[in-house]
Amino acid sequence: MDPRTRLGLLMFAGIAGLCLESPLALGVLCMLSTAPMLAAGISAIWLRRGFAAAAAIVWGTCLSQGLFYAEQPRVPLFSLGPLTLWREGLIYGLAQSLRLLALSMAGLSMAVSTPPDRLLAALRALKVPSGLALMTSAALRFLPSVGQEILVVRRARAHRGRPVWKRTPWAWMMLEISLLRPVVARAWRRALTLAESLDARGFDPGAARSMRRPLKMNALDWVALGILGSTTAALATVRILHLLYVAEVIWWPSLRPVYAFVRVWL
Amino acid sequence: MKLVLRQLSYTYPGADKPSVSGADLSLAAGKIVLLTGPTGCGKSTLLRAAAGLAGRHGQGVLSGEILLCGTDPADMAPAERVRRLGFVAQEPQDQLVASTVGDELAFAMESARQDPQAIAARLPELLAQVGLEVELERATLALSGGQTQRLVCGAALAAGAQVLLLDEPLAQLDPLGAQTLMRRLREVADQGLAVLIVEHRLEATLPYVDRVVLMENGHIHSQGLTQGGALNAAQHHAALRMGLSVPGQTPSVFAQAQPVGDLVLDPGTLQHRYWGAENDALVPTSLVLHAGERVALLGPNGAGKSTLLGLLTGQLGPERPGVVGVPQDPDLCLFCSTVANEVAYGPVDQRMPDAERRTQLAMQALSVADLAHRAPHALSRGQRLRVAVAAALSCAPQVLVLDEPTSGQDHEQVEQMMHALREALKNGALVFATHDVDLALRHATRVMLLEHGSVVAQGSPAELAERLLAMKGGA
Repeated sequence: MDPRTRLGLLMFAGIAGLCLESPLALGVLCMLSTAPMLAAGISAIWLRRGFAAAAAIVWGTCLSQGLFYAEQPRVPLFSLGPLTLWREGLIYGLAQSLRLLALSMAGLSMAVSTPPDRLLAALRALKVPSGLALMTSAALRFLPSVGQEILVVRRARAHRGRPVWKRTPWAWMMLEISLLRPVVARAWRRALTLAESLDARGFDPGAARSMRRPLKMNALDWVALGILGSTTAALATVRILHLLYVAEVIWWPSLRPVYAFVRVWL
Repeated sequence: MKLVLRQLSYTYPGADKPSVSGADLSLAAGKIVLLTGPTGCGKSTLLRAAAGLAGRHGQGVLSGEILLCGTDPADMAPAERVRRLGFVAQEPQDQLVASTVGDELAFAMESARQDPQAIAARLPELLAQVGLEVELERATLALSGGQTQRLVCGAALAAGAQVLLLDEPLAQLDPLGAQTLMRRLREVADQGLAVLIVEHRLEATLPYVDRVVLMENGHIHSQGLTQGGALNAAQHHAALRMGLSVPGQTPSVFAQAQPVGDLVLDPGTLQHRYWGAENDALVPTSLVLHAGERVALLGPNGAGKSTLLGLLTGQLGPERPGVVGVPQDPDLCLFCSTVANEVAYGPVDQRMPDAERRTQLAMQALSVADLAHRAPHALSRGQRLRVAVAAALSCAPQVLVLDEPTSGQDHEQVEQMMHALREALKNGALVFATHDVDLALRHATRVMLLEHGSVVAQGSPAELAERLLAMKGGA
């Protein structure tokens, strides 16, 4: 698939994520966004880690929103002293966390399935400023390395110190922040090396380049863009119509089925 | 002359004296010049300055004259410059700009706006030129260290460079890989390429170079032609004085098997297969360690050394209390604001009663006490490695694991470090992976030779001397 098509799909996923509010619909979007990453091949260990991180995000967001939800109406599910868990808060937290995951997964799917140099070519073809295009593709290029390095740093610290849970939350947080230092320093050195490497290979952001493998949109690209583009446009349209109805700006009786569909499914 | 440097000096921002001062150097077509000297003497800075990178990317002060094929490279457009000059920095993995071998090789030609058909025709030629036998669609991240090094060399030459500058290209290569790369460089030089190479590994480079430039404290100390693949007498003495690893220093008496102390680690069977791989990266292996042992892991790139270390340190398996590892990239275990805090982190965090004494001893043993108040990441690579080892040592590990402890360090620094470790680990064990056969001969009590994920031989250096010396020769 042409990298421009993938960029288009990423944009559609972003728009869809903004248009959806139902946890069910956001869950479906989350699964669709994750599918390309799984198809690109990901090791079992990273799958486990990713699932654990996703579960932590969902659990943390649901719990905090469930406890601190202040909108009305709200239905209490469980009370313990001054703490009450609100049903609407849980649902809102679930939707927020699934939206975050769906957009993150869409970005990660793009990152793991698109070679950075092809992405750079696509961004330049789409007239994105050269500096921004280069920064984006370089960031994606090094994303897996940074992930690995974070693990190495954490292991190096674990070899030398007490387990992280044997300290106060504040000390734990400060420790986690300090562990970013080597990762940032390494990323900085790597960025300098890459910049010099690009310079040494004659890269000029403002100059035209020839291309060994020119970008080419085939029929599959156009079909994918057409189907997902029109679906996203329809989603955005019905969401806007529903917003106008809720805000009492425009209401058309003939659109009652649409309003109902948005309320129940989206 | 393809490249001429006249009175070239470079001072880093905030430095009170230049890192390179008044360097005069010329490079002729068809010649390979080796630039060597102690760690931190300014070799890499001179190379970056010669490539024009210090001027374009650095914020320091550059003075002097650089002539590339008779023209100042600063006056050339990037597309023009890439047709004259190729530059390969350290850390080949960080220089990869594309995801496949073909795209990596094509990048410079695309910058030079060459015709796509001409680019396609040139790619197999380039692969052959650098001796890289992989398909063009192979992912660059799937290559071994040696293959990546050859790939970045090929990528630097792709647009037709007449001058090639290389910074420590052999750092990650085993003896055979180093010999292969140097032979390839000699072949391309014989076709008219001018090559300037910065390298610590004199034994691997000297047979292939025409001239040696010795640097010390930012100045060019001397330049001389090689004589029969060796340094001339004056440079030989100067190199020895500078603490460089001069060929001919291979120990004639090797360490014998020693009586071992108490058991410090029995990790059981070590075995690993990477996700998606068809074969084990390490077949079932045993490595029982006793007090006072220093075990060297040797073998070609991809033999399973790093996998074995990863299993010992818990990177690829269960955590093992008492085992402390220092990764190949020391930057990744430096997370404190000063060297003193870094070395003290372990003893203080573990609330050891003699934390202060341990910290001081470790800093003194690794010669980093005078850097106590410096930020670790602001130090040179060799210094960063010593700080990382001192920080590991201060935790009183039962087993210390080092991956390539010679990388980026000169001979003298390596010797100091290994002597310090020998003293500090009398009640523990040291396991280190290295390509430096001499290091294993001098400092190991046991050598394990690995090939294709299995241990093919192990014993004392004396027992394996013949085999080790054959390895050193690239056999």
